[in-house]
Amino acid sequence: MEYIKGALASIIDNKARSLLTMLGIIIGIASVITILAIGNGLKFTVGGELDDMQSGGVTMVINPKKTDKFLTGNEVRAIGEQIPEAYGASPSVSAYMDITGRYKTSGSIRGGNENAIYGQTESIVSGRFYNSDESESGSAVAVLTQEGAVMIFGTTDAVGKTFELQYGSQSREVMVVGLLRSTEEQIKNAYPRSGVESYNYPTVYVPYTLLTQGFGMPGENITSYQIFPHPGEQDPASLRARRVTENILGIRGEGAVSVQSYASMLATFDRILNIVTYVVAFIAAISLIVGGIGVMNIMTVSVTERTREIGIRKALGARTDSILAQFLAESAMITLIGGIIGMLAGYGLTFIVSHFMSFPPRVEIADVLMVVLISTSIGLFFGIYPALRAAKMDPIEALRYE
Amino acid sequence: MEKLVDVIDVCKIYNPGENEVRALDHVSLSINAGEFVAIIGQSGSGKSTLMNMLGCLDTPTSGTYMLHGMDVSHMTDNEQSDVRNREIGFIFQGFNLIQSLTALENVELPLVYRGVPRKERTQLAQKALQVVGLGNRMDHRPQEMSGGQQQRVAIARAIAQAPPILLADEPTGNLDSGSSREIIEIIKKLYREGRTVILITHDPGIAKQAKRIVTISDGRIKSDIINPDADV
Ligand SMILES: Nc1ncnc2c1ncn2[C@@H]1O[C@H](COP(=O)(O)OP(=O)(O)OP(=O)(O)O)[C@@H](O)[C@H]1O
Ligand SMILES: [Mg+2]
Repeated sequence: MEYIKGALASIIDNKARSLLTMLGIIIGIASVITILAIGNGLKFTVGGELDDMQSGGVTMVINPKKTDKFLTGNEVRAIGEQIPEAYGASPSVSAYMDITGRYKTSGSIRGGNENAIYGQTESIVSGRFYNSDESESGSAVAVLTQEGAVMIFGTTDAVGKTFELQYGSQSREVMVVGLLRSTEEQIKNAYPRSGVESYNYPTVYVPYTLLTQGFGMPGENITSYQIFPHPGEQDPASLRARRVTENILGIRGEGAVSVQSYASMLATFDRILNIVTYVVAFIAAISLIVGGIGVMNIMTVSVTERTREIGIRKALGARTDSILAQFLAESAMITLIGGIIGMLAGYGLTFIVSHFMSFPPRVEIADVLMVVLISTSIGLFFGIYPALRAAKMDPIEALRYE
Repeated sequence: MEKLVDVIDVCKIYNPGENEVRALDHVSLSINAGEFVAIIGQSGSGKSTLMNMLGCLDTPTSGTYMLHGMDVSHMTDNEQSDVRNREIGFIFQGFNLIQSLTALENVELPLVYRGVPRKERTQLAQKALQVVGLGNRMDHRPQEMSGGQQQRVAIARAIAQAPPILLADEPTGNLDSGSSREIIEIIKKLYREGRTVILITHDPGIAKQAKRIVTISDGRIKSDIINPDADV
């Protein structure tokens, strides 16, 4: 305790120098925190989205390298009818758009046909799902979750209301025809908010043709679609979907039509994220080591400058370990303070970055503890040499030092 | 009377071999509790070496040093630290205050190393500062004080935890005559209050105020006399 107080006093006495010494640690910790927070946020968002899709169905992909053929919306519907192990099949187009209802927000727009209802875990509570005619005619109708309705209109009483979807310079007025159930909890926690800083955004289900015809997004020539297998029948359903698709298109061969596995997508995503994490962690580690060496350097200078003080302390009865503790406390405090500043800077940076990247940063208590632990350890480790030098000084020579 | 300091045939030899320096050459010296001893000698005679020995900052090359009944000639560094903390109050020529600490914090230092709890420590330190007349300067840092005041802080530090021995090496060496007189008066007062004082000086004018004068020359004790004219 006494040592920590002394260490703080000494750091404050040498503000400018202490801050410069901390710089390496600050940069190192800031980059660690930034990558962790961004990584967590990204994992959370993208992971969540992938989970979503996975719950909805199995995606079948026609390999554009093997054939330039494609399916029409009616063919997709027909495929679904030929798979006894599945509820149906639907095209799948999605986008992220600005939404203006009573409130302005933005959200994920998922386009499909009437079978997309089978991708939902929750049922319709009011109104209806869009039908097959609307699916193919580019109708401006939409189904929301109750949670999404609150975000857009401030109420779950949204059937019949209209809102505007905006994608680039184009916009369309869309009418709500149905609502999917949300939990009480979700409804309670949903409130109108705008922009990318919100952790939750509404999901809007529309006919895929609204996106392809209405907004001119690619997808009218269908090269991938979703099937919604009965529980536990994913494998036979997707196998049959493959055969049927091959028949319709008149193509054969390994990989012409394939199942897109979300587990593998998730794994790929994780791998990329991990590589990025390792690269940044490597840079951070180097800057932490450089920072640590800087601390060692400054502490060595400080020990030399304070030789006389060390002599005095020893003469007054300081033991070797008291001196050791005093200087270790000082280097640990320097790196700890540097670590905390770095952490704050890192979170600041994360919030700025996440603002442009439309996903929520995640601050985790474990990260904070890790910063405290790492930065203190660096101070202790790189402080050992100068502290030992101080502790081993001969009191007479130290007292004589000018 | 209790024998506090007992130096028995101590030698301190620097650079043994070629051009060795016998800083202390078979020195024997006993000092009882409650004595006021001045050790006087010319520059280079070995005064500081003796002081370092007496203050447990240094160990003899040969011979024995018994302090308060303990043989301290072959102690480890940490044991010596503890003995210094417990037994010795140092007063140095150059004050040796820590510049970054206030007067009070400087005086508290030996108590910190003693492990005295904060509250008690502050009380003892305040009392010591009042004894040397610096009750109103406790929060000043050394560079805000005159030499005489700094030396008084150093004295307060030396007496704060009431060690048996006060060891002063040229305590007035850096002071003008006015401040010198003040410091010597404080030291004499402490002696009158029952402390054992060992005062090292090359100034006969100061030495003759002590009850006993030990003269040292070339590392040897030349004379050891009771001073009948002591003015305490
Ligand atoms: N570390 C050392 N190495 C070698 N010789 C030393 C060392 N310390 C002291 N000496 C020598 O020992 C002798 C006694 O030195 P000391 O410092 O004890 O003298 P002093 O009486 O205190 O002198 P002064 O009045 O100048 O302070 C001197 O000749 C000095 O050169
Ligand atoms: Mg000397």
